[in-house]
Amino acid sequence: MRVLLQSAASGILIGGVYALVGIGLTIIYGVMRVINFAHGELLMIGMYFTWIIFTVFGVDPFLSILITIPGMFLFGALLQKVLINRVLNALPQNQILLTIGLGLVLSNLVMLIYTSDYKIITTGYSSSTLSLAGLRLSTPLVISLVITSAITTVLYLFLLKTDTGQAIRATAQDRDAAQLMGINVKRMSVLAFGIGTALAGTAGALVSPTYYIFPQVGGAFTLKAFVIVVLGGMGSVVGATLGGIIIGITESLAAVYISSGMKEVFVYVLFLLVLLFKPSGLLGRSRM
Amino acid sequence: MPRILAKARGFTVLAPLPILLLVAALVAFPRLVASPYALHMMILLFLSVAMGESWNVIGGYCGQYSVGHAAYFGVGSYATLMLLQYKHLAPWWGVWIAIAAALVVSLVIGSICFRLRGPYFVLASIAVAEIIRLIVLNWKQFTNGAEGILLVDIPPLKLGQTVITDWLAKTPFYYLGLALALTTLLVNYLVQHSKLGYCLQAIREDQDAAHSLGINPAFYKNVALAISAIFTALSGVFYGLYIGFIDPASVLAVDLSVQMVLICIIGGIGTNFGPVVGALVLVPLSEALRSNLFSKLLFTAGLVKETSRLGAFLKENLAHAHVLIYGILVVVVILFMPDGVLGFTKKLLARGARPLSPKPSPLVGGLDGPA
Amino acid sequence: MQTFLRAALALGLALPSLTSAQSLKIGVINSVTGPEAPIGENLTNGIKLAEEDLAKRGTKVELVWEDDTGKPQIAMSAMEKLATRDGVAGVVGPYTSASANAVAKLAQRYQVPLLVPAAAKEEITRQGYEWVYRLNAPANIYAQVLLDAVTELGKPKTIAFVYENTDFGTSTADAGKKYAEKKGIKMVADEPYSKGSPDYRSTLMKVKSLNPDLVFMVSYVVDAILLMRQAREVGLKPQAFLGGGAGFTTTQFASDKDISNLVLTSTQWADDVKWPGASEFAQRYKAKFGKEPTYHAACAYAAMMIMADTAAKQSGDRKKIRTALASGSWKGIMGDVKFENYDGYTNQNKHPMLVLQIQKGNYVAVYPPEFATKKAIYPFAGW
Repeated sequence: MRVLLQSAASGILIGGVYALVGIGLTIIYGVMRVINFAHGELLMIGMYFTWIIFTVFGVDPFLSILITIPGMFLFGALLQKVLINRVLNALPQNQILLTIGLGLVLSNLVMLIYTSDYKIITTGYSSSTLSLAGLRLSTPLVISLVITSAITTVLYLFLLKTDTGQAIRATAQDRDAAQLMGINVKRMSVLAFGIGTALAGTAGALVSPTYYIFPQVGGAFTLKAFVIVVLGGMGSVVGATLGGIIIGITESLAAVYISSGMKEVFVYVLFLLVLLFKPSGLLGRSRM
Repeated sequence: MPRILAKARGFTVLAPLPILLLVAALVAFPRLVASPYALHMMILLFLSVAMGESWNVIGGYCGQYSVGHAAYFGVGSYATLMLLQYKHLAPWWGVWIAIAAALVVSLVIGSICFRLRGPYFVLASIAVAEIIRLIVLNWKQFTNGAEGILLVDIPPLKLGQTVITDWLAKTPFYYLGLALALTTLLVNYLVQHSKLGYCLQAIREDQDAAHSLGINPAFYKNVALAISAIFTALSGVFYGLYIGFIDPASVLAVDLSVQMVLICIIGGIGTNFGPVVGALVLVPLSEALRSNLFSKLLFTAGLVKETSRLGAFLKENLAHAHVLIYGILVVVVILFMPDGVLGFTKKLLARGARPLSPKPSPLVGGLDGPA
Repeated sequence: MQTFLRAALALGLALPSLTSAQSLKIGVINSVTGPEAPIGENLTNGIKLAEEDLAKRGTKVELVWEDDTGKPQIAMSAMEKLATRDGVAGVVGPYTSASANAVAKLAQRYQVPLLVPAAAKEEITRQGYEWVYRLNAPANIYAQVLLDAVTELGKPKTIAFVYENTDFGTSTADAGKKYAEKKGIKMVADEPYSKGSPDYRSTLMKVKSLNPDLVFMVSYVVDAILLMRQAREVGLKPQAFLGGGAGFTTTQFASDKDISNLVLTSTQWADDVKWPGASEFAQRYKAKFGKEPTYHAACAYAAMMIMADTAAKQSGDRKKIRTALASGSWKGIMGDVKFENYDGYTNQNKHPMLVLQIQKGNYVAVYPPEFATKKAIYPFAGW
């Protein structure tokens, strides 16, 4: 029983990180209808960014999020303007290929600059734990869950209450109608990609104290991000949050009760089941 | 200059004579060039062509972008090599099992994935391939898991009592590879010019319209996938026998699936010769980078000093840049040459004349989402 | 125009690969890029030091470096090129077990002497290939020496295996499982993991609930760090943590004192061992490259010295080199080296392995007694 609870708790904590990645992807899809296969690489860039700030300036990875968020936002906006914008009206297959290509370019550029050496951030609290109701929880993961919740709440309020946020949601619901209403949909796309990138990069920053950093780290996260987004419903922020937690728990329990090597199989099988039987996901699509 | 390219019913048909000359040259090649390295490069080229052409059937003609084709490649190579290594079944029998296995897998995958459209299909194809890879990785008793299968020996091929080849030199693999590449080219050609090809392309352009015209999408998609799967599996068998070593990371990984797609996209998707062009671009490029040819060229030509910082950087790093170049090529091709290098070259040659191959029309905004 | 012509000429010359002079060429296959790159770097540096020493001695060799990126197929390609295009006298490498095994077959087929410096997989020298030589001790010794050490220090009864499901991880773990059985230690958990996962906590929790006396891990560097961090998090407390080489032998791991303390690991070499030139090698390495060498550097250095010397003495004749390797014996920073056939092994050097323990961030040799510099601290005192 103890193992079950501990494992579930562990899953929730890692699920929070997954959720952040998923939310970024779902916003990009929701607004731009672009399937961003380079999302994992954006996370990887966020990790390297954090690592640079940590090693050069000595700033704690969690604190450096204040720099990472705007930095990654600008990077995402740039990518959108230069690359993604050109394929907004192209075949979805071409969009996918473009983002795959982009992902390859990003990960290999980083490899060229930093080599494939695995980098690891060691902080004073990297392996410390908190005790809660007899369960041991990893301190850095708890902190990242708290920060994730904060960011998600702020994002949700932004989308719901502010004019820009509502404009983004309008664009997601119906691009043409939004344009007719006077919303600058091009700008919304830039914003959406910027926000999506910032979230992915932040997820990278949050997970960097507990994981390691290498150029190909994005790959594993991209596919999982898609699973989460489909599970939660393409375009739904709340859905992606739920999806992330569910996937985190599934993985964790599968690792304990089946085998560590097979845990991803369960995630992918769940993915296929959702695609086949409830493709709109838990919370439907295009509702942010 | 003989008109090599003739237009017939909207498709390009190549006149037979230059083709026959080229094939004859390829057949004669091993007798003229003894270097095993050159043979090796040609074999890799043939393999890439075969992989690209096989993918083209489902991805290019039918418009279903599977990024999980490594599943068939891996199933093919694992089936044959496991039977050879553990049950001592000669590969010329084992290959039939590989084909059957690939067929079964393709039907299963098709029935799961073809209900989905566009990007959902892509994602599902990746997920299925990953599931297969993880199963093979973890099922150690059956497949030897991560350690892979290192082939000990291929039994000599005998006709009656005479030994045709004992597989120790590269030449038999060269001819096998050539035969495979030519076969896939032929299959592509036949598909393109048959009613099947017509139906596939209709499905690619607009699945619902095709359906309304009486074309059963599920049936045709599965046929296309089956054909594609069989030849991808054969490529896998060839790879396994030639390289002599397979493991889940080399024959079942997403990277391989992406590579197959890239060969086709960069060359020119939906055309008969596109994958050939793609292979011609990628294989020599990859090898040239890996063996530092470019750096050496730049140094010898005096453009960059070997001892300068740029020279040192290039020497150290250009070799590892080939995937970076692939990525850049993909981005460039998608943005500026959606018909691939082949299409781009054709347009250049045509110089303002009508484009020869039908371009898929871009959809405005909106994705279908899952069916 | 001029540069274009020169480029075309260079292209024409480069293709059929002329050897400009009859220089003695030795091939090196290593994981320069790819996930094994950080350890591959040790091999590269070790060989570079060997290059220096060979030059000092007046032994003229030209090294042809090939990167296998950690993939066996690329290693095989590289071997083909070295054997047929570059006409090397011999090859040193590769690093990884998977690559070495694949290349061994080709070395045998092309009849090129191959000296494997650090790959563990037993099979490499169990195939009767007379052209393949291995300097380091094979996988079974990794496990053997560790388990011998702990059974002398205490009386562990149960063992859990946590290892990456790659060639290296699986073969070393398998060797461990067999030997544990022989020693009467019961295996209570067998947990292969896919490397690159951020979260091993569930697996470690599962292992903890089974209360093993020993936890035997085979991992690469960052997994080793993550595993130990998360082991600390879940409070896993066996009598000892056993690390099967690789990741556990790097200073990056050791320097994380919170998690590396008292971990026992087996290694092919340590800088405080009384082999001639060992500590000087370590100092030279540190001075030149700014970090401590792992055993891989020492293995690569010794392998290159042996191969180059032999090749030079035999004037690059592959057959003669092979015979000379089979019959020769050397003494250097790896101790005594002699390639022998025994117990199903061909051309295997009977290299003794050591057990190191990390005490306060430093590696100290604790077993076998003839190499030990300090006493091991056992059992594991807890977090």
